[in-house]
Amino acid sequence: MTEIVMSQTPPILHGPSAKEKKYDRQLRLWAASGQAALESANLLLVNSGPGVAGVETLKNLILPGVGHFAIYDEAVVEDADLGVNFFLDESCLGKPRSQCLTALLTELNPDVHGSWYPNEETASTLEYLLATSPVFTAIMYSFPIAPERLALLEAYGREHKTPLVAMHSAGFYSYFRISLPGAFPIVDTHPDETATTDLRLLTPWPELVEFAGNMTKDIDSLDAYEHGHLPYVVILLYYLEQWKQAHEGKYPSTYKEKTEFRRLVQGAARTDNPEGGEENFDEAAAAVLKTVVPPSLPSGLREVFEYTPSEPIEERSSFWIVADAIKAFHAKHNSLPLRGNVPDMKAKSSVYIQLQNIYKTKARQDAAEVLETAQSIAPGRQFDPAEVELFCKNAPFVKLINATKGGDSASSSSVDLLREVTAQELANDENAELTMMPLSLLPIYLALRATSHVDSATADEILASIEETIPGSKDKERILKAAQEVARAEGGELHNIAALTGGMVAQEMIKIITKQYIPIDNTCIFDGIASRSQVLCL
Amino acid sequence: MLKIWSMKKEQQKAENAEGAAGGKKKVTAAQLRVQKDLSELSLGSTMRTEFPDQDNILSFILYVEPDEGMYRGGRFSFNFNITANFPHEPPKVQCREKIYHPNIDLEGKVCLNILREDWKPVLNLNAVIVGIQFLFLEPNASDPLNKDAAEDLRLNRESFKRNVRVAMGGGSVRGVLFDKTLK
Amino acid sequence: MLPTEVYPGSEPSRWKYLDRIRTRPGPFTNPDAFDGSLVAEAIENMTVLTVVELTSHSGAGGLGCEILKNLALSGFKSIHVIDMDTIDISNLNRQFLFREEDVGSYKAEVAARFVEKRVKGVKITPHNKMIQDFGEDFYMQFQVIVCGLDSIEARRWINATLVNMVDEDVSDSYKPLVDGGTEGFKGQARVIFPTVTSCIECQLDMHAPRAAVPLCTIASIPRQPEHCIEWAHVIAWDQETPFPALDKDDPEHITWLYKKALLRAQEFNIPGVTYSLTQGVVKNIIPAIAATNSVIAAACCNEAVKIGTSAAPMLGYPDENYMMYSGNDSIYTYTFKHEKKDDCPVCGNLARELQVDPDWTLRELVESFATRPEAQLKKPSLRGEGKTLYMQSPASLEEQTRPNLDKTLVELGLAEGDEIGVTDPAFATVMFKFKLKFRISE
Repeated sequence: MTEIVMSQTPPILHGPSAKEKKYDRQLRLWAASGQAALESANLLLVNSGPGVAGVETLKNLILPGVGHFAIYDEAVVEDADLGVNFFLDESCLGKPRSQCLTALLTELNPDVHGSWYPNEETASTLEYLLATSPVFTAIMYSFPIAPERLALLEAYGREHKTPLVAMHSAGFYSYFRISLPGAFPIVDTHPDETATTDLRLLTPWPELVEFAGNMTKDIDSLDAYEHGHLPYVVILLYYLEQWKQAHEGKYPSTYKEKTEFRRLVQGAARTDNPEGGEENFDEAAAAVLKTVVPPSLPSGLREVFEYTPSEPIEERSSFWIVADAIKAFHAKHNSLPLRGNVPDMKAKSSVYIQLQNIYKTKARQDAAEVLETAQSIAPGRQFDPAEVELFCKNAPFVKLINATKGGDSASSSSVDLLREVTAQELANDENAELTMMPLSLLPIYLALRATSHVDSATADEILASIEETIPGSKDKERILKAAQEVARAEGGELHNIAALTGGMVAQEMIKIITKQYIPIDNTCIFDGIASRSQVLCL
Repeated sequence: MLKIWSMKKEQQKAENAEGAAGGKKKVTAAQLRVQKDLSELSLGSTMRTEFPDQDNILSFILYVEPDEGMYRGGRFSFNFNITANFPHEPPKVQCREKIYHPNIDLEGKVCLNILREDWKPVLNLNAVIVGIQFLFLEPNASDPLNKDAAEDLRLNRESFKRNVRVAMGGGSVRGVLFDKTLK
Repeated sequence: MLPTEVYPGSEPSRWKYLDRIRTRPGPFTNPDAFDGSLVAEAIENMTVLTVVELTSHSGAGGLGCEILKNLALSGFKSIHVIDMDTIDISNLNRQFLFREEDVGSYKAEVAARFVEKRVKGVKITPHNKMIQDFGEDFYMQFQVIVCGLDSIEARRWINATLVNMVDEDVSDSYKPLVDGGTEGFKGQARVIFPTVTSCIECQLDMHAPRAAVPLCTIASIPRQPEHCIEWAHVIAWDQETPFPALDKDDPEHITWLYKKALLRAQEFNIPGVTYSLTQGVVKNIIPAIAATNSVIAAACCNEAVKIGTSAAPMLGYPDENYMMYSGNDSIYTYTFKHEKKDDCPVCGNLARELQVDPDWTLRELVESFATRPEAQLKKPSLRGEGKTLYMQSPASLEEQTRPNLDKTLVELGLAEGDEIGVTDPAFATVMFKFKLKFRISE
């Protein structure tokens, strides 16, 4: 039987710190590592127009404790601001908006530092600010924005590999678009716990085979208690072996074979008891279709394996080195490193813990092998074993965002892409009723995009501008309506739509900063009339 | 504005009550559901209920007097407490006596799947009561709440039977004194 | 083309952006339901209720601050807020109307004061109470109710109250209910027109019940850290009662449970019991962040604006009434129509009128059900709220209530307008509700 060594140091018996208490509800989402990333982030908001979506975004990042934020906003507070922006009050009228916003926003969290521009002392222009500030972790800007200013931000993004987030909110409509500096891989994607079960029942390793074999060698003479507490992993391994012997050494592979195997397992439960069955056999039968599966390579990871970063190996982030090491592991073993978690199942405590340790030990061995390979790929580099372990654990769920890059807003490739997507979306709409799919929100994007650089425009002006980019659109009923709806707002924001957009942008910023969960790729459009969003890659 | 109300009138059949709303006593969904469950109850000869307050049907006592099995001749009682969130939440059931039973602990907690992990709003009070009756006919050694009693039953059924009788008589088993439940 | 006239309200320069949208129609505005010249005044005369009562510090709260801010900046001038809770330090990561020095004060009061100060001209009335402390007369004064509740029980209560208040002939008695909730990066916003569209009770299946572990697993074969914590919580606490009653917000109590759970985990070699996990399991803590609250509260208040102004079609009538939002993996919303359930115990079972003679004995009333065309009940059991009239079963209750049969309805304390519930085992799925209407016998 496997020797179990429990190296459980008892945790120190103290309650949470004041900071842990304050951030408790979010630490449960992104843990201390995510919090540390957030606290070291330095954000810039370049604001214009009413600028409420950007301010709401900041609020949602300041509350969870982002490290530093800066607001660049040339506007002076006027009466209309007070009807739409919560972080301004009567005393702000006539003062620089960036200054007043910074004062009322920093009130929200004493841990957060804010600064405002332009100001006479440190920076009076955006150029100067960008040239003299410590590198920004990410830059957000709101439309409308002057084309030269946009070009300046895009150049900064390219130079410093800084993610840019553009947002535009007018009336009931909004969209935001994320431009990431090249391919953006995420390891800690937080997959749904139920999707992570990987028990390797068809490729058991010697320790697992031995453990299951010992428990089942006299399966029929086990007493009712022991039989009723065999963990389902052990039950399935035993009956898979039986099946194999009766089927020329082959495991059940087709759906039909698996349902037949499921019947075999269910039929092996003892029924001569008061309950008329056994819960552990029920669990085993229920797990057949999901767990009796050969190892596979998920598409997200395949994409990572097939992607070649543009930088030479020495300059690549450790992500790409470890990915190569896992690719080599997969080529060698025809399976990924083991995740090592065992779902809860009916079993005696000690048996379950032993089983859990067998899986954990294997997972650690696999991770150690990957670490060794990584070191051989990039000799002399230091890898954090915890990082490698996390990668191995999450390998099937790793995700690559922004692998195909759209380009800057004005580039010809981005206009081509927009034309292509528009044609596709409008074609889809024609079949929307048949396919039960909601109508595309792209018309909203097109109408807002037409006012990217102007405070407001009439519906006709908007249509003419769209027509210029996408010939033939002015006759489309839905584009016309979107243009009218955008014209109705005359560039004004509704607080609710701005707050909603600011919530979505803040979620995305958190995902990008913490490198956890999966950000959008790359544009999210919101329709406040239908209360619906759509994400498109533009 | 608020044109919806006239739309509603066009659309809906007249099925609502008249008269000014407000101040009158309304029947809550949970109460009505318990009323329904109670009127469907089939208790048989071995069970009966007692309502300390007849106007509060969310709280009552169930008496079980098994006429067969190892607990024959005993009288066991359970407190039923139903919250306003019924049937979204299961009723809370607790044994009022300290008894020797593998699935009922010394504090009166009952291990019955439909009282916890397997509860569904479509289940009713009758299902719970049938479940409790079943525990006395077929105590279950493999899912114990009282580990000692379960082990006793598993390893030596005759000894378990004897201990049940001792406990029901108000005696002590392994140093634990039990309530007298023999009629 | 569109009419372009803007009808400014009382402060045109301040509400410039809002007036453009709320006082002139867009291409999706229903022209029959919209009169731009009346909107500004109408919305200023509306009273909105925000219900953010928290039954625990479980964490789902926090929509309240956003909702109050959003309503105030949506042009509503009269807002009430109900919240019985006081401010806890763990609220500060998202409830932006509170500061460290406010910890321990009533949320409703601090929030109302803050928003009134920030947004000039809005009046917010705080109620540091539970929603159940108020009756129909109170709820009658509002035109829209926006809920950011953290318990299913409270949602069901307010839903049933609003459905019961509906009187077909009194258009004022319909109170649209906008409800929001969040969990981590996910949330939902929905609009309910009581008795017209699917209600919260119809949608109960949208709330997954909390997964429970068998008691016997906790008692005898723990395998997970959660099992050890549940053991400390459910079993060890009862056996030892270290404090008179468990206060889940008292760190001393949580620490006691944590230590117990840790000892149990060590006994079974189970790794993973921490203070944070103990607190999470015992309080059923739901992760919550400002960003998601911002999305969901704004989606709710956007609907309140649409209900109040008809400036755009609202969610909930006649089609889509439910928006699901998920931000874990990209952003995904699913906006759909949740169908009203005919057999909904709340909105599918409205009280019918029942003509009765107050001098009838209960026996006469019971017997009358056998001949009523819609019922034809042979063995009806009858209850009023808080009053058992006559139950045919179980036997003990039949015996206890039998004397009532010879009393008259008046003697039994029944009054005009009271509801009675009628059940009959022969009709397994039917529970009738009747509203008494007295007629005097000739």
